[in-house]
Amino acid sequence: MFKSFLLLTLKSIRYRSLRSWLTILGIVIGIMLVVIIFSLSSGLERAISGLLQSFGSDLIYIFPGKETNPVMSLVGGQKFKVDDLFALEKIPGVKYVMPADVATLTVEFKGEKKSVMVHGAPWSGMRPIFEESQGVKLESGSWPLSEDTNEIVLGNLSAHKNFKSVVRAGDEVTVGSKRMRVAGVLGLIGAQDDDNSFYISLNNFWMLTGSDRVAVTAIVKANPDVNLDLLARQIQFELGKQQAVPDFSVLTPAKTSQLIGSVISLVELFLIVIALISLVVGAVGIMNTMYTSVLERTKQIGIMKAIGASSENVLSLFLMESGIIGLTGGLMGILGGILISFLIGLGAGKLGTQGLFSFASLDFYGFAVILFVTFMTGIFAGLLPARQAAKMEPAEALRYE
Amino acid sequence: MEKTEQLLDPVCGMDIYGLPDVRHVTHAGKSYTFCGDGCEHRFKQTPDRFLGEPLIRLENVWKVFDMGDTKTEVLRGINLRIWEGDFTTVIGASGSGKSTLLNMIGLLDRPTSGKVFFRGKDVSDAADVDRATLRSSAFGFVFQQYNLIPWLSALENATLPLIFAKGDTDGVKMLKKFEEIGLKDRVAHRPTQLSGGEQQRTAILRALANNPGVILGDEPTGNLDSKTGNKILEMLIGLNRDEKKTLIIVTHDADIAEKADEIVTVRDGEMLRDHHIHKRTYTEFNV
Repeated sequence: MFKSFLLLTLKSIRYRSLRSWLTILGIVIGIMLVVIIFSLSSGLERAISGLLQSFGSDLIYIFPGKETNPVMSLVGGQKFKVDDLFALEKIPGVKYVMPADVATLTVEFKGEKKSVMVHGAPWSGMRPIFEESQGVKLESGSWPLSEDTNEIVLGNLSAHKNFKSVVRAGDEVTVGSKRMRVAGVLGLIGAQDDDNSFYISLNNFWMLTGSDRVAVTAIVKANPDVNLDLLARQIQFELGKQQAVPDFSVLTPAKTSQLIGSVISLVELFLIVIALISLVVGAVGIMNTMYTSVLERTKQIGIMKAIGASSENVLSLFLMESGIIGLTGGLMGILGGILISFLIGLGAGKLGTQGLFSFASLDFYGFAVILFVTFMTGIFAGLLPARQAAKMEPAEALRYE
Repeated sequence: MEKTEQLLDPVCGMDIYGLPDVRHVTHAGKSYTFCGDGCEHRFKQTPDRFLGEPLIRLENVWKVFDMGDTKTEVLRGINLRIWEGDFTTVIGASGSGKSTLLNMIGLLDRPTSGKVFFRGKDVSDAADVDRATLRSSAFGFVFQQYNLIPWLSALENATLPLIFAKGDTDGVKMLKKFEEIGLKDRVAHRPTQLSGGEQQRTAILRALANNPGVILGDEPTGNLDSKTGNKILEMLIGLNRDEKKTLIIVTHDADIAEKADEIVTVRDGEMLRDHHIHKRTYTEFNV
């Protein structure tokens, strides 16, 4: 009985294949979104927390703008005076302060020109932060010893991938208008931006960008066994005295990860709401399709009833149809979602962020739940039109053209 | 709607109370009244056959279509008897209500008022599922438009009633039937790929799938050329003649009416008396 009905239903779906596929598509999109969000979110969180750990756990970051709104501060273009920043070294517990700035500059190597991110910071601060706090050593070459020589250090990817030929220690590149010797190439850090950057001393940076003793950000290296939260509050207080940047943030690693975590869960929530809305839209789509398909097939309903189908028979045929549409949509959504997130993970892996794609928060139990939900969505969406179809008298349905 | 007094013709079942020129026959000490010489003649031949309960009996059946502000009375108090094994034709002009009458007989529709009896049991207000069971086991329908399901093959269409009746199909048995009527190589075709005659023969196999006792045809040859139509008609009449199935056909065709045991003439939703005399009047050439 069930098998015969299933065959009948499948034939009817296939007969109207375009309409059936379009309805299925409505469900697919919603489910795909849910699957992508779930399978990428845990990987994303892991990638970000890994990134934060690579920053070093004894570093405090200072940047302009309120911490709740980091984007606005970068747009504002406010910069600290480096003397105000160096003044923070007087606070007990501070080992040293490394002011840093960043700009997009043109770098030329063997006639090939590229616009790249150039970080400026004193070598004396940069070297220990890379080596001690982030655990990254030079892959080749050596750190420049003077702040005033025309020397440059390249991030790992910027040396290996940026230009057609690999840049090696000892090569010469032109940064802006200045010819500089490549002193060294960093090992892989694991963070996109850092690996693709170029590093020069702050003195050279000011010369190239035409700015004078200012920096957009600073990293404070703390002494061992110092309470970072307390230190951050002291820095906040001391730096509050300067006038150049009235709104600024002082972030400890713990606070940063907390902030990023809350941003991620907010984004996740937002995406899930979108996914749910699209699922509801899909359900309305099924309802709409079932409704028109009931109207379209009123005559066939009459025929079936005339040759002995009961109301329950007609009802179950239509419910099976909408259930199958929902189930197929769910299945294709899961497969499509996995495929797309796998591709995103693959793409991110190529760009340097590994392990973005994972099944961690989406196991087979989760898939079963999704399939059940889509099946029930189909059934409920089909219920109203199917019941209307089933209760007609055969002659009434047969008159319908 | 309700008449206070009735006098029913025991053969055709129509109410002849107050009509002039009725026929009287005395049989086994009782007096019977007939609408005309047709019914009288049939009664005299086999009187005992008409004394029991007929296969189908309509009792003062009304059908009113309510279309908002207008009400159309399609059937107006029909009293009718169909006897098992008879070949009955229903004739009448377009819009006379003959198709609606057939729908009432075959349980495709419910009367607005009045009763329909099948083997003495009132089925006009039976539950939907009971009516469906009866349609599936006792009736086989053949329509003018063939009414095959477009997304199923000829074989699947013919076996469809088996699914609803038993939950399963016997494709092999049905295939043999297709072979018998010379449609073996057409079984996998969809209805749109079949000619009208092939579709109607498929529809007849479908109507016979559950081996019902009653075959109902709503102008089954109306869409076919006369040669194909005659073939279809032969098939249907053969079922009546050889397999003793009760055959009820709504038609315009005088030739079909000619071959029937009983002719029921409908005009303006009412049955006419003297059925046999009217057969020429309301058939194809004179509508």
